[in-house]
Amino acid sequence: MMKNTITTAASVAGESSVNVTSLKALLTHLICGLGLGSAFYAAHSVYAINLTENPEQTIRLLWVIEAPVVILLYSLFQHSSNQCSYLKAVFRGLLGLPTGAIVNALGAIALGAPMIQNFERTIHWSLLMSVLTCVPAASVLGSSWADWQRIFALTKASKPLEYMICIPAHGAVIGAWFGAWPMPLDWERPWQEWPICVTYGAVAGYFVGMVASIGFVVFNNHSVRVKGD
Amino acid sequence: MEVSKSPSLTCRTLTLLTVSAVVIQIIGLSLFVMGFFPVKSTLSGTSGLESFFPPNLNHSVRDENISALPPAGLFQLYQKLSGVPPSFDRLVFMVIDGLPAEFILGRDGKPPEKVFMEAMPYTQSLLAKGKAMGYHAKAAPPTVTMPRLKAMVSGAIGGYLDVAFNFNTQALLDDNLIEQFTRIGWKIVMLGDDTWIKLFPGKFTRHDGVSSFFVKDTVEVDHNVSRHLNTELNMMDWNLLILHYLGLDHIGHIGGRNSLLMGSKLREMDEVIKMIDRGIIQGQEGNKERTLLMIVSDHGMTESGNHGGSSFEETDSLALFVGPREFGPVSKPNNMANQVDIASTLALLFGVPIPKENVGIVMTEVFKSLTVDEQLRVMELNSWQLFKLLQAQSPNLECKHFKCDVQMDDSGYRISQDYGSVEKMFCCLYLGAATAHESLKSPSTGRTEYDKTFLAYHEFLKTASQWLSSRATDRPSSLLVSGLTALLLSCLIVLGLLFLLVCESDMTKRDQFSRLKIVTRWQLDEIFCLAIVCIIISSMGSSSMVEEEQYVWHFVVSSFYILLLRKVIQSRTLGFMVQTKRDLRRFFPIVVILISGRVLRGWHQGGVNWAHLPDISKWLEQEGSAYISLLQLVSGVLLISTYFFALLSSLRSRKIVVMVISIIYLYPALFILYHIFFQGGKLATTGIGATEMVQRFYAILGFSTVGTLFSIPWMLPLQNSKILRINSHDEITSEHQSKLLLKGLKDTTFVSGWCLMFSWSLLQLLLQQPINSMPLFLISIQMMAAVLYSSRGGTYWAEVAAIYYLGIAGHFGLGNTNNLATIDVAGAFIGVSSHSTTLSGILMFIITYASPLLSLLSMVMYISRKDMCGEVRAKDVGHLLKRNLGFPCLVPLGLNSLILNAYTVVLLLMRNHLFIWSVFSPKYLYVCAATVCVIIGVSIVASSVSYTCLVVSSRRI
Repeated sequence: MMKNTITTAASVAGESSVNVTSLKALLTHLICGLGLGSAFYAAHSVYAINLTENPEQTIRLLWVIEAPVVILLYSLFQHSSNQCSYLKAVFRGLLGLPTGAIVNALGAIALGAPMIQNFERTIHWSLLMSVLTCVPAASVLGSSWADWQRIFALTKASKPLEYMICIPAHGAVIGAWFGAWPMPLDWERPWQEWPICVTYGAVAGYFVGMVASIGFVVFNNHSVRVKGD
Repeated sequence: MEVSKSPSLTCRTLTLLTVSAVVIQIIGLSLFVMGFFPVKSTLSGTSGLESFFPPNLNHSVRDENISALPPAGLFQLYQKLSGVPPSFDRLVFMVIDGLPAEFILGRDGKPPEKVFMEAMPYTQSLLAKGKAMGYHAKAAPPTVTMPRLKAMVSGAIGGYLDVAFNFNTQALLDDNLIEQFTRIGWKIVMLGDDTWIKLFPGKFTRHDGVSSFFVKDTVEVDHNVSRHLNTELNMMDWNLLILHYLGLDHIGHIGGRNSLLMGSKLREMDEVIKMIDRGIIQGQEGNKERTLLMIVSDHGMTESGNHGGSSFEETDSLALFVGPREFGPVSKPNNMANQVDIASTLALLFGVPIPKENVGIVMTEVFKSLTVDEQLRVMELNSWQLFKLLQAQSPNLECKHFKCDVQMDDSGYRISQDYGSVEKMFCCLYLGAATAHESLKSPSTGRTEYDKTFLAYHEFLKTASQWLSSRATDRPSSLLVSGLTALLLSCLIVLGLLFLLVCESDMTKRDQFSRLKIVTRWQLDEIFCLAIVCIIISSMGSSSMVEEEQYVWHFVVSSFYILLLRKVIQSRTLGFMVQTKRDLRRFFPIVVILISGRVLRGWHQGGVNWAHLPDISKWLEQEGSAYISLLQLVSGVLLISTYFFALLSSLRSRKIVVMVISIIYLYPALFILYHIFFQGGKLATTGIGATEMVQRFYAILGFSTVGTLFSIPWMLPLQNSKILRINSHDEITSEHQSKLLLKGLKDTTFVSGWCLMFSWSLLQLLLQQPINSMPLFLISIQMMAAVLYSSRGGTYWAEVAAIYYLGIAGHFGLGNTNNLATIDVAGAFIGVSSHSTTLSGILMFIITYASPLLSLLSMVMYISRKDMCGEVRAKDVGHLLKRNLGFPCLVPLGLNSLILNAYTVVLLLMRNHLFIWSVFSPKYLYVCAATVCVIIGVSIVASSVSYTCLVVSSRRI
């Protein structure tokens, strides 16, 4: 149902697939957000687990639910650009999942994530991070090294679609970074353990990033229209 | 380079200003430390027979007599000399942790709250009958258990530094009651808080310690004490039974003063008191043994149950005497005392000498059952002891040339008057009391004379005690303020200089790049570099962040290097045309730094809360010492070969120099390997041969390093054979000459830096624990990688800061924490033949600050790798020095100064915090030592680099 709306919206939007309308951006982020939200809901009410008590299972549930949502959704953009097939984009997204997880895991381990105890938590956490950061980019950008560099190393997004990839991903990473800060405190709360508060931080940063990304897209489209006029 | 359009700093002013800033910093720091941690001059030793003789008399009583006597004989001698018969024979010393005196004695003349009255019916009935006598014993801050226990048994208010410098022992070394009781042969039994066992190891005949670690447990801790009570009360072998109940304090921590559990806990305590009183005190009326039950609390608690500060609620602790007979009429308003008074009172009640450093005064009401003469004698003994302590504090207290015109009003009360000086005041008060006491010995004396003497003693004791305890606790604000001001001033100077330097170098860069239209902007890594300081400073306010500082440093440093990695990837975008090789040269060092940093973090699980978690060092120790020595050998070989490889690969064109240096350092390197291989790293700290060998190693290492540093600028051939061959038939142009000089300078600096780093690492390989050899190797690799990464381009100050940060992160990687307990004391005696505190202290410093100093020493190598542009001429050498030395010296100084200042302010703000002594003060000592380390490191770097520059620039080709 949703997908239909988007595809129609995309076809209405016309020739340049890279030009994403504000509505599309809003819908995409809304669905991603709903995906995460429903994953949390499912964990809570269906499986009766929560992040603090069963971090491993909950994070696994989160990425298992969110990954198809993100892959299918972002592959649409690639599909509509007619550069390659939808299936290929999905495949790229699927490939991006473990690759991004490795990068995220390496980063987290360099920053002090456990290697031996709780290593499974690290794996699931990095898969979730991969879903939030790398998978959309993998679906859309494919293996274009220059684009990856521009968006992730230089943070120079210019088109709405790139904003939609870049800002939530950065939000998730920065949120996770800040989320790690309560860990050494001696409050003796269960959520201070790896990777609970980091996951909370990442999800919060992701949501903030999505809101900011919508803002950027709206602003960008507006200014483009003004320029066009 | 004719830059400097701005009124730039000359090298001379820069140096002068920096040196003055450092001097101001040292002065400020010492002022502050003196103000914040008052050091009392101590009387060493234990009180003996001399305490029964007046001061100023060089009495011929010698301590040798005492040690020859059997305990019982000593006790008899004490009795004979003191003239005061002991009032009791046995003591039950019951500590109820955290019990406010208010609960039992009420406040401001009012009885305690009804709940508390009803909870302790037996104790209240004892008080009502006069069989118990209670005091509000005001505790001195910090109101935490260990210092309070010390105050109760020694009567002294300890300075923090005395505690801090007892590195590996928590045992109380000052004169104290437990020591005194042991001397007269008492058997002591201890049940309860294991702090006692830490304080007095080996003094207890039997003990059962409980840990105060599990604050949530309010029942078991006390049950573990009480379960032995029945048996112990029936045993007759002990003279002193110490009970320390922790439950009440735990209840306070959980639920505050008005917790629902409080009533039942008080009832439980009342039962214990009843049991002891019924069991042994009342039960032995006919018996000769007289037992005293002394119930005390170490501190009170606030409404919410916390303690540590100096509010009335926290300092209001209890001292309750319960004896077999009535104490006589208790005068309510007089029940205020100090906690330190307990020591002297108990000492005189049991007929032992008052501990030497006691500042408390006897609670005279307890002695009411004695005759008047005996009571006066009690006060006299206390006065003598205090007067001796006063003499130790102000040595010119001789009381010969003071004229005291004692003014009395009609009723015999002394009129308070201005004595002019403290010495005079004490002399007059003391002499007044002594003469009054003397005059009593004439036969016809009335009641008023006694009262007068009593009052005179009382006044002297009170004044002296107040003065002495204020000396120990007061932090003179003038010292603190002037110290802090000086620190701030020095910080401002250093930061101002840094700012000027940054502006200047920016301008140079802009001039260079103006053609390329590249605007120098703040880059992310530079911003983060500053953010690290801010993060560190803001994290210092939290006690748990201070405890777990190793995580904070590792986290920020790794984040910083991940950002640098990102930067490298960025630059790849710009330049597919730029060689990929250069990118890789910048890429790999960072990866190496990140990986070794992660291994370092996993090596020692430092800190407090997660120290018990498994880490690599624990795992290796479990696996056995064979693995450790193998690891040590491997890391030694790796370390040495890495250094030689670095030397070889950097000075490819100077084979002879490399050879000479290698030969020089062959012996120390082989010595280390030999020592690891054959002695398994456990350097024979015993055995004279081994000590001599190590001393020889120190000497050779020192000679070869200093010798190389001095001679290499003179010896290094400036005319490179390769370059010479090309130009041999041409005339050597001046441009060519300066190029040669520059190359020579770079190589010389590199060799100096290499020597410094290598010698330091070899020394550490010898001194550090075997388990730390691998971290040492990793830190060395990190430093070299950081130098390699920053060899070209990049912001000067950010790179220097990055190296400095790495040094601090490595400091924690070697297992150091902000707790004084982790200082490696064993290593401090390697190669030291006689016991010398200074030498051991220096070695301890070397071991502890291995990593920060290595990072500072690596600055020399870093300078050599940097572009040393500019003319190398004798007259321009100042400019050259400023350019190359400015940042490597000022950045560490500035960063350290910022941290020091921030931490000084934190310490001032936290002075009443619960953890001020356990967390913040040790950390401050570390910060002070880090300051010393930075100053030493920077001066080594500055002197070696400027020496090299001066010598090379003065040479001719």
